Amino acid sequence: MKILVVEDSSSMRAYLMTIIEGGTESYDLEIVEAASGFEALKTLPHHKFDAILTDINMPDINGLELVSFLKNHPVYRAIPIMVISTESTEEDRRRAAALGAEEYLIKPFESSELVAKLRRILRVA
Amino acid sequence: MSREDDRARNEFTGEAEELLDTLSRDLVDFEAQGKNVRPELVNKIFREVHSLKGLAAMLGFAEISELSHNLEEMLDRLRMGKVAINRNLVDLLYDSVDSLNRLLLSINDPSLEGLVDLQGLTSRIHQVVSGGPDVKSDDALSSLTLDEHTLKSLTEYEEHRLMENVRSGKILLSVEVTFDFSDFDERLRALTAALIESGEVISTLPAIDATGGSGISFRLLYGTTLDEVAVSALAPEAKVVSLRAAKPSPVAAASPHVEVETPPGEPITASPDDEVSLRSVSQTVRVDISRLDHVMNIVGELIIEKTHLEAIARSLAGQRLISHELGKISRNLNRKLSDMQRSVIEIRLVPVGQIYSKLSRTVRKAARELGKEIELVLRGEDTELDKMMVEDLSDPLMHIIRNALDHGIEPPNQRIAAGKPAVGRITLNAYPQGNSVVLDVKDDGRGIDPARIREVALERGLITGDEPVDDTRAHELLFTPGFSTASVVSEISGRGVGLDVVKRNIQELKGSIEVISVPGEGTTFRIILPITLAIIQALIVGASSEQFAIPLTSVDESLRILAREIRRVERREVFTLRDTTIPLLRLSDAFGLPGREAEGPDTKWFVVVTRSGEKTVGLLVDRLVRQQEIVIKSIGQRLKSVPGIAGATEIGDGEIVLVVDAGSLIDEFGGRAREARALVK
Repeated sequence: MKILVVEDSSSMRAYLMTIIEGGTESYDLEIVEAASGFEALKTLPHHKFDAILTDINMPDINGLELVSFLKNHPVYRAIPIMVISTESTEEDRRRAAALGAEEYLIKPFESSELVAKLRRILRVA
Repeated sequence: MSREDDRARNEFTGEAEELLDTLSRDLVDFEAQGKNVRPELVNKIFREVHSLKGLAAMLGFAEISELSHNLEEMLDRLRMGKVAINRNLVDLLYDSVDSLNRLLLSINDPSLEGLVDLQGLTSRIHQVVSGGPDVKSDDALSSLTLDEHTLKSLTEYEEHRLMENVRSGKILLSVEVTFDFSDFDERLRALTAALIESGEVISTLPAIDATGGSGISFRLLYGTTLDEVAVSALAPEAKVVSLRAAKPSPVAAASPHVEVETPPGEPITASPDDEVSLRSVSQTVRVDISRLDHVMNIVGELIIEKTHLEAIARSLAGQRLISHELGKISRNLNRKLSDMQRSVIEIRLVPVGQIYSKLSRTVRKAARELGKEIELVLRGEDTELDKMMVEDLSDPLMHIIRNALDHGIEPPNQRIAAGKPAVGRITLNAYPQGNSVVLDVKDDGRGIDPARIREVALERGLITGDEPVDDTRAHELLFTPGFSTASVVSEISGRGVGLDVVKRNIQELKGSIEVISVPGEGTTFRIILPITLAIIQALIVGASSEQFAIPLTSVDESLRILAREIRRVERREVFTLRDTTIPLLRLSDAFGLPGREAEGPDTKWFVVVTRSGEKTVGLLVDRLVRQQEIVIKSIGQRLKSVPGIAGATEIGDGEIVLVVDAGSLIDEFGGRAREARALVK
């Protein structure tokens, strides 16, 4: 399985990867990182992702614009998306859900919470 | 705490430091732009604080998280137009960033804990937030022909900006472009940069290729004062459509969200060739500077090995074939080593602007304490210097700026009387000059008055009553230990330091400092530094039976003269170089070595003309050996205080030579020359 993590902060990205790697040891999981919406767009054609995790506040194009793109794309619309944001972007998270994002997570979160939600969208036990 | 958490925490301090640096720089721009601040900048500042908060909250830094959370809330209201921009807000932002910096430092240094008044800041933030203007909500968007889909894809902030643009009567346009997958990011950034010259790009929505090709389309919402025709001219590749409802609505049809039939599972792709290059997604790594030091040391040692090789090649001059081959290898090696060295040095270089933000914060504070108003102008922030040097520069620079504030800039009433603007101006300008970087700290104050310097020097017992003080001597006295009053306490270092310490700091960085002053018009302190300290170019010279290395940064030129060209003026040896009389110093004398046995009028000498600040001295040496790269190693504590020596280096063949510190040698020499002059009198 392959997931894409879109997050502009490198330490947050490292943190997310550590949690995901630790919580999904029993699966064969590959993580691809993108530091911006642009990088995410660039990397999409080259992988077949099973899930995408994205931040909302990012330069270039933000998480909402990315979700909108993905959920209106004939192929990518099938990839489940988890939006990771803080409570201050509550309204934007609501909008992401309206655009079709499957799951959301609010920072700060427990690592178990992230793993549980990720498993849910990946449909693995 | 787990190892992963530890790693994340280390990573955090690095990234947080960077975020705060950028934030401070953005605040300087924010302050400069005043009431007409660009919404993009406000949003960028918001995003930076937002990122910081997210990180701090995740990793359990409670205080940073709390403060950045409150700040974020205030900035969110600011970008939504719910907070007024005024002096109070700017001060609060600066103070907050200052406190965040302190909190960050206290993570690794517990002695700094408790220095931040979190409660005070929080209540100031709450005051600003509650005092903001009410924003009327109206139905500004109904005048636009925006499809439901685009509206739904706007963040709350983007929606606010869209309404603001409508309310302020801007022309709202949809700008649609389709780019190739391989370079859409660059081209889109270029387009955005061109557009924001005359407006605001409110949102950038990607979509599958509207032309049915294999590229990617973008729809930009653009608020501007230009009309469709002008924007079309600006972006010829784009399809520009007005969004005002008065016109027929072409938007829905032109929407890039056209569904193109693509077989499932087959992603849109640029070309298979791109696959490899696009795989690595993140473009930066953060590296501990000590690891770079280590690499640099290895490069340095390789250079020494290369010098060995060259020495062998030279000693084999009799065996032509071997010598020729060895020479070729050593030249190749030399080229590769230079490449490698340059790359490593480039990695170490950071923009000087990194300390500008710290400086401007401290200057604002210092000016407030002194009750003076000044404008700090920062230029050349992109000029690059070795990371370690940049760190070591902030104390000396701060001291010079404080000095300018204290002594240079006059009180407002005096300034007005002198026909100057009431607000003083201090300009910090950094620019490259050959292999060096120059930093000018310039004030428009009263300038240095030699008579006043003389008074102070007399008072402190640094000179005798009959010594005349001209400009040069006055500037020299400024840097003499004991001249500055110990009551000046540097904010950054927390110690009482004088300009003599500044000079020593700069000399330790192998740099020089000079003063240019015009009475009534102002003073410039000019610092000249090598770009890096790790490896420097040096001239190897021979004096008596010894060899010495002279850093090329302090060498103006070297030339051959005959003994008869050396003249004596007041017991001092001099020679004339293009109409200028230059004092000479025999290097063998300076280090107490025996002189030449027989010296006739035709004895050949070499003069190495060295410069430190405004002073020039010709060093008389027996031989010029060669130029080479050296790695300066520090020498023991015992020799540290010996003037004229910067350290030692190995120059190949295992030979260790002393590195001449031209600056301190010239100072010492100047001192002795004065003693000699005094004796004559």
